[in-house]
Amino acid sequence: MATENERIRMLRDRLAKGLADIEEIYINGDLERRVPHNLNVSFNYVEGESLIMAIKDIAVSSGSACTSASLEPSYVLRALGRSDELAHSSIRFTIGRFTTEEEIDYAIALLRRKVEKLRELSPLWEMYKDGVDLDTVQWAAH
Amino acid sequence: MAYSDKVLDHYENPRNVGSFAKNADDVGTGMVGAPACGDVMKLQIRVGKDGVIEDAKFKTYGCGSAIASSSLVTEWVKGKTLDEAAAITQHADRGGARAAAGEDPLLDPRRGCDQGGGRRLQDQARRGRRTRSRRAPQEQAAD
Repeated sequence: MATENERIRMLRDRLAKGLADIEEIYINGDLERRVPHNLNVSFNYVEGESLIMAIKDIAVSSGSACTSASLEPSYVLRALGRSDELAHSSIRFTIGRFTTEEEIDYAIALLRRKVEKLRELSPLWEMYKDGVDLDTVQWAAH
Repeated sequence: MAYSDKVLDHYENPRNVGSFAKNADDVGTGMVGAPACGDVMKLQIRVGKDGVIEDAKFKTYGCGSAIASSSLVTEWVKGKTLDEAAAITQHADRGGARAAAGEDPLLDPRRGCDQGGGRRLQDQARRGRRTRSRRAPQEQAAD
């Protein structure tokens, strides 16, 4: 168990490290005081459900609720102090006993590619790049 | 996920992604949604002197069906007059773009996701009729 925990923790840290230099990502929760097999990341300006669709080769869940019967963002992430939009942009990764290093590397490469693609589609990313402070925009919610 | 092939196709190969220069005289820009609600759609149309939409581009932050319906609506509006385009709503055929893409939105709890397409288009066509807007999209969102 201890050996397995250590292996899984190393894979989780490898995943976190592989994503770390992507612009505007946020690790949700504490990396030290945390179960070893879990990583929850918000990819700002990319909506979680659309990212899940883009990485359909890997099984993850979204902290947000497009995957369930509700449209609400994760109340856990909200309680951790994340904004609604970061909660809508989160992905929850879990690593299991049979996860390999190769699979982690595959996931990293796939995520980097798809996050970039979805940001090209994102008006929020465009506004961020244009220097617009999204907090000052009065949104027309529908 | 119960997405139809057509939704998946528009999601995986979205048409007309991008932006026009927002200060061009013949370009109108509309944006609806809010990041906190999980979707924001920006639609731009370029309108000829005869009032016909010559070209359209979009960018959408949102779930897969929001992206797909935005893509589809850019295909629909090309060649339409502003009045014709304004007649497209999320209610036009009980589900707007996503229903047209072959999926029954009434079966899906996420049907909120794709309602921006029609709403934004009406918004957009209204603006187009009123003025060839020169305002930036973030200012328009404040309306």
